Amino acid sequence: MKQYLKYIYLLAFITVAYILLPVMNADYLYTIQDNNVFISGHTFMMDTVMGEGGWQAWVARYLTQFFYYPWLGSSILILFWVVIYWMTIWMFGIKDKWSFLALIIPAVLLYHLLDYGYWIYYAKIPGLPFQPTIMVFFCLLYTWGTLYLIRKLKISWQMKGLICVALLGAIIYVSNLLWPSSTWHYNYNFRHSIKTTLIDKNFKHELRMYRALDEFRFEDVLKEMPTNNEQAPTNLMVLYKNIALMHTGQMDRMFETGNCGVKPDIGDSLKIRTSLLGAPIIYYMFGQMNYSYRWAMENAVQYGLSFRNLKMMIRTAIFNKEFEVAAKYIAMLKTSTFHRKWALEHEAWMTNSTNFIQSQDYQTLSPLLNEETNVLDGDDGLCEQYLLEYFSDLNHANTPLLEDVTMCMSLWAKDYYAYCIHFYDYVNSHPNRPIPALYQEGAILFGNAEESPITLDQFRFDDIIANKYNGFVQDYQQLQQQGVDEKEIGNRLKMLYGNTYWWYYYFYNDFNIY
Amino acid sequence: MKLKKILSIATMVILLASCGQHPTVPSNVTIESRLPKIYPDYTEVTIPVNICPLNFAVQEGETDAIARFTFPGGEFIYGEGQKVLIDEEQWKEMLESAKGKEIKVEVFAKVNGAWKGYQPFNIYVAEDSIDEYISYRAIQPSYVAYERLSINQRNITNFDEREIYNNMSVSSEKVGQCINCHSYQNYRTNNMLFHMRQGYGGTMLVSNGELKKIDLKTDETLSAGVYPSWHPTHNLIAFSTNKTGQSFHTKDLNKIEVQDTESDLILYDVDKNEVSIISELDDELEVFPTWTPDGKKLYFCSAHFEYYNDSIEKSAEMIQRFKEVKYSLYSADFNPDTKEFSNVEMVYNAADSLNQSVTLPRVSPDGKYLLFSQAEYGCFHVWHADADIYMMDLKTRDVQKLDAVNSDRSESYPTWSSNGRWIMVDSRRDDGNYTRPYFAYFDRKGKAHKAFMLPQKDPNFYTFYLRSFNRPEFMVEPVKITPQEFAAKAKEDAIPAKYADK
Repeated sequence: MKQYLKYIYLLAFITVAYILLPVMNADYLYTIQDNNVFISGHTFMMDTVMGEGGWQAWVARYLTQFFYYPWLGSSILILFWVVIYWMTIWMFGIKDKWSFLALIIPAVLLYHLLDYGYWIYYAKIPGLPFQPTIMVFFCLLYTWGTLYLIRKLKISWQMKGLICVALLGAIIYVSNLLWPSSTWHYNYNFRHSIKTTLIDKNFKHELRMYRALDEFRFEDVLKEMPTNNEQAPTNLMVLYKNIALMHTGQMDRMFETGNCGVKPDIGDSLKIRTSLLGAPIIYYMFGQMNYSYRWAMENAVQYGLSFRNLKMMIRTAIFNKEFEVAAKYIAMLKTSTFHRKWALEHEAWMTNSTNFIQSQDYQTLSPLLNEETNVLDGDDGLCEQYLLEYFSDLNHANTPLLEDVTMCMSLWAKDYYAYCIHFYDYVNSHPNRPIPALYQEGAILFGNAEESPITLDQFRFDDIIANKYNGFVQDYQQLQQQGVDEKEIGNRLKMLYGNTYWWYYYFYNDFNIY
Repeated sequence: MKLKKILSIATMVILLASCGQHPTVPSNVTIESRLPKIYPDYTEVTIPVNICPLNFAVQEGETDAIARFTFPGGEFIYGEGQKVLIDEEQWKEMLESAKGKEIKVEVFAKVNGAWKGYQPFNIYVAEDSIDEYISYRAIQPSYVAYERLSINQRNITNFDEREIYNNMSVSSEKVGQCINCHSYQNYRTNNMLFHMRQGYGGTMLVSNGELKKIDLKTDETLSAGVYPSWHPTHNLIAFSTNKTGQSFHTKDLNKIEVQDTESDLILYDVDKNEVSIISELDDELEVFPTWTPDGKKLYFCSAHFEYYNDSIEKSAEMIQRFKEVKYSLYSADFNPDTKEFSNVEMVYNAADSLNQSVTLPRVSPDGKYLLFSQAEYGCFHVWHADADIYMMDLKTRDVQKLDAVNSDRSESYPTWSSNGRWIMVDSRRDDGNYTRPYFAYFDRKGKAHKAFMLPQKDPNFYTFYLRSFNRPEFMVEPVKITPQEFAAKAKEDAIPAKYADK
């Protein structure tokens, strides 16, 4: 039995690693892969090896691609860990019953990979799942080589010393440790984010929602939105959900599907920014091609080029008819192992405009592109606020979708003046069309406000909505008279009115944009 | 003995492999009556006698291509897949032999299994050489963000490229560093400078070979020095000082506007470490100073812009009225001994007469011509697709657009080689987003010839390269200070410049 212990320990570790990696965190690993890039060719290779990490970074980038299939990437990584385990046992001559000690290094590497949480967007470590492993692997290889020399080779001590120095030189060279002036910029510290990776449901929802959005699976985005009140959704989830509602013709359901987002509570020093996590795809989904391209580029520059950024730059460049630069990025993406098919499909958008016009992207986004007026301003890195203000201020919505977007965004932004203008335009443009419930709720609320720009007499509202509003006002006033504080009033009214715009307007004040 | 044998065989194999074999021109060829598509486009260009090989890729067919170069001394044939990679020694032989004449290039490509030939083109070899070095900032074309930046020098008679300085040598995760505006006195590197912003900020100044770090910001000036111009005969540098902001277009493909809400001109006396004001007129945005080769005149650009909305910030008003910001060209006489400026004159009224904006002036080394970039508005023409290069005859003040140099994309940052026979511009003609250096021959009759892109060893280099070549400058010698020396100096405190009242 004793002689099998080392196999049993290893098997147990492999099982745990598989459970923690592809079984529980496939989306996490896929996203890490999406934030990585590998381009075959001399230019990319030299650019990588001349930077920090050197050849090691290049190899790590190459291998990280395989997390496109999380099982495949995990298997390669676990294989490295198995080799590290055996090398450790061999080098230190560890006895069978103590062989679990040889799992310390692989376990730390596993922990390290899971310890990124939101840092997967920020860490400037090329090929981050593999870099520490490869570094450890090379170090062990060096130690193993040295020990082998000492134990086995019958050569002079001088020669042994010379070979050891040469091996050490090789390790330094492949890791580019001397680049460019002995400054090692990567931060391999533990980040205390393993809780986020393993437990934070919102983090996992965000990962899945992004991928579903990227693939235009809007129904799947909506499925990720929690329906219970266990954990408030993040702002990013609310944004993704509303985008999915927008492109499935249900934007007027935004307040009944949970619109009160919070900032992720990650408990460390990391400043989460929507601009990095999702701005390129968010702007893209709102038809803001320049801003989408801009953020894909800014993020690529600051946090490293990624397949994700490259794809967004290709899409937006094609929409902007910047075909030459799109072709440049496509040429790069075509050299990748798993994104080649995507690149070829998008290349076909350029070679045949019918392909583009029939594409899901164009079919979905074209109603948002009719607005041709150029505006010069900036988002100060706050994409959510920018979109709310931009669409609230947009005065000439010329497609039904844009009408909905301007109405809903002004409600979301609580911009009653802008909403009233859009409401008038909407009702005048569609005199015979029933007014959606949400728009009635907005109009009733603002129409009853002091100095309201809306005269309610002009419109016919559904009795149910009007009566519900009266009930809301009565209940609210009653609780106020009882001396209940605002927050508690909100809690008590949530059951009855939580899915109305009125509740959102009065009680969602934690509009913490990040 | 056995080992010796193996070694000799291996050496022979290596030698044979390294000799390489020239491909042969196929015998059965269908001729097309058009020029071949090659990248970069080197058809009918005029090149310096000392330029590196013009390697190119043939964009015809899918697999094989061959190019035959015929020159007065013979012919060479090249072809590796679709690439035409020219042997450096043979290229030198070709250039020497074709000096003042031309090299005829015939291209053949395998299309659908059959060979096709294309209309031959010429590469004209000028008798004039080009400065051996250029330097540029290698920067990704982002908007606000930056990370890894370097100022590189390239020997353009071969493919050797080295870093002058790399910002990552002093950057940390928390504090980044931007570097910009490298500049040289008379194309030499014993007197040169570049700026560092944010982390370890200051101006790295090399004066007579000695490296210093200077803080050019004084209480009396708008900012530290920005756009520089070294005086050709005295140890003086004219700078602009700028308060710069950026804003973004939602639809316009120019994508970004970089605007100066305020800008002035200052003079820095290197020996005295003193800053004085050249021009700080109200309602004028003075920028881009450049000296004449004799150092007796300073050209610069200035836009008249009056803020009239007190209820909003200047930057907000400028964003609202961004198309109204138009720069004209001015000059001022200068006495290097007294350091006094006089006779400010508007040389080219682009703003009012033409409704255009002029930036980045550069006077030719013989003092006869002035190059500049012109576009509809603004000062940051690298992002303006309509920006083109124009040339003024300084004697007659006639202005002509240099069609041979321009494209339908942005051209900016024109500069002259030290012998005045070559113009270098930064162009986005390739893809609209990444700037690349282009060279054009400027003959003795004052005519510019078709521009060509900086050659690279691998003709597909630009497709996979994600940085722009920003602010390309000619140099007649390499920078001798090492990146490590610059990095060490960067970590020192900057010496504050003194302000000298007029």
